[in-house]
Amino acid sequence: MEATFERIDGRSARFWLLLGALVALILPGVISTYVMYERGLYLSGMTNRIPWGLQIVLAVFYIGASAGSLVISSLYGIFGKKEYKPFARIAVYLALLFLVAALLSILTDLGRLDNLSSSFSHFNFLSMLSINPFLYNMYILICIVYLWAMLREKERLVRIMALVAVLWAIAVHSGTGAIFGFVPRELYQSPLLPPSFIAAALSSGTALMILVILGLFRVTGRPLDGQLIVRLGRLLAVFVVVVACLLFIENAYRVYLAGSREAGVFVLFGGFQSVIFWGGMALLGTLVPAVILFHAKTAGSIPWIVVASALVVFGVLCERYLIVIPGQAHPADLLPNMEITSSIWQEGVATYSASLPEVLQAIGVVALVGFLFVLGLWLFKLLPVEARIYDEAASAEPRVTVN
Amino acid sequence: MDRRGFLKTAGVLSAGAACAYGLPLLTACASATAEPEGPPGQRKWGMVIDLGRCRPDCTACMDACRRENNVAFFGDTRWDVHLIRKVRVRRKYPHPSAEKPMLLLCNQCDRPPCVQACPVKATFQREDGIVIVDQHRCIGCRYCMIACPYDARQFNFKENTEWPNKDRPRSSHGVPQSCTFCVHRLDRGQQPACVEACKKAGANALAVGNLNDPASEVSRLIADHPAQGLREDLGTRPKVFYIGL
Repeated sequence: MEATFERIDGRSARFWLLLGALVALILPGVISTYVMYERGLYLSGMTNRIPWGLQIVLAVFYIGASAGSLVISSLYGIFGKKEYKPFARIAVYLALLFLVAALLSILTDLGRLDNLSSSFSHFNFLSMLSINPFLYNMYILICIVYLWAMLREKERLVRIMALVAVLWAIAVHSGTGAIFGFVPRELYQSPLLPPSFIAAALSSGTALMILVILGLFRVTGRPLDGQLIVRLGRLLAVFVVVVACLLFIENAYRVYLAGSREAGVFVLFGGFQSVIFWGGMALLGTLVPAVILFHAKTAGSIPWIVVASALVVFGVLCERYLIVIPGQAHPADLLPNMEITSSIWQEGVATYSASLPEVLQAIGVVALVGFLFVLGLWLFKLLPVEARIYDEAASAEPRVTVN
Repeated sequence: MDRRGFLKTAGVLSAGAACAYGLPLLTACASATAEPEGPPGQRKWGMVIDLGRCRPDCTACMDACRRENNVAFFGDTRWDVHLIRKVRVRRKYPHPSAEKPMLLLCNQCDRPPCVQACPVKATFQREDGIVIVDQHRCIGCRYCMIACPYDARQFNFKENTEWPNKDRPRSSHGVPQSCTFCVHRLDRGQQPACVEACKKAGANALAVGNLNDPASEVSRLIADHPAQGLREDLGTRPKVFYIGL
């Protein structure tokens, strides 16, 4: 049986109330952005020592979050797992929206938004911040074509776009890692960041996909075969372990080598970021979900998988913070074996905390994405009528025989 | 066309797209590493700082710079801009040494990471080696500040209300700034404001000149003294040289 899709009818009061609430959350963000653009970014918590703050942390997180589509597209479009077809439209639409969220976060953070046209007229092929917006914009285009092909049931094009989207998504996540990895700063510079970004993207993307699917099917009262979620949970378990491995290697390497030991210790035992590292990322974001997803009793239970997924998303958010902020907070080693004892400027370790306008901006971006998501469910046939595992013997896939 | 055929076509298409995109990147990288030395007569500006001559309590260079370049100063370390800043340093190992003064400013790297990083080519390097920001093109993304290993780039977080030097523009908020060796003065044949102020104060610790000319003051100072740039191991080729660091 083929999956069928439908729109939400959008006649309930709940639907309009939701849209209204989201608009109410978008407005403060728009106002904050305008005021900061007019008066200056000193209204943010950023300083000359921490010039990248909350919006960049979230932009990087959103890029990773879009990878849920990468997982579903690979399963359905490339590996031919038909049972994931019901989720494919939502996954691609959500990926598109997360890319929009990332671009919006970067845009609201710019000091001179009025000069934005120069990013089209003067492209710098050497800048990771030129290459990445190009990758993101192209990915948005790919998602649009992919979604259009699915809405029109153009099977051939869907197959092609699934592959193109998967390949392009890998470039998107590696490229995002390179924004930090290709910079001569002690805690950034690392060839491990692009692969580690792919891994973290896969894990947060899958976890978000699980949460979104379960939420949508619950709210709209659709039948869903729990086995599908359990299988995604198994996949998530693998991703969590891969991310943990990469993070372990990265931090062990830093602390092992004398040259980078001080910076490594700063992350692991140096203050607030260490609490985020051990409490947020290692314990809540990795260990607890890994135990849940690998333990025989909890791995098959939907409520437990929901807990694990939420924790994984939180863990990746912590990891994003740990990439962006401590790399700036830790002072550049300008004068090896020397210390600066007094200065007119902020030398040494710097601190950052987001200001209210920044938080309002971030909420505004989330609300806008939520608004577009709900609107999309109403405009396009994104929601499947049901999702279940079809009879595997009757599958259209040819049997693979050996010899 | 069967499934295998689709995969093949799609693979070729995306590989083609990747090449079309990647090729200019690779060639741009190649041209960035093969640096031509330029015609023999071409100037390459550099600075020499003799820390032995720098007086511990003098701030003449910083004051002159702020006046000359209309630099934002609010008395708040979060947003103050210092194109040149004076700090005190001491050696850590094996024993803490006595404190001594040290000046930090843009190193005008010959391989500047900020120029690589700028997504809109607002930060660029002139033929004479000076790295400047076109503030009318800059989008204020601050990636140059992230990329600079010397923390030399600073951002105008707040609108600067003071305008001591009406001959020079004031930065608006939303754009970064760094030392330009007072390029507008060099182009007129004058010395940078800090160098002039340092001479006037009688310390004579700063010199700016043409590194390509072996007879220039800076070239002679570098030849006669053990001069070193900051973090030369990074490969950025800084063009500010310190004597007595």
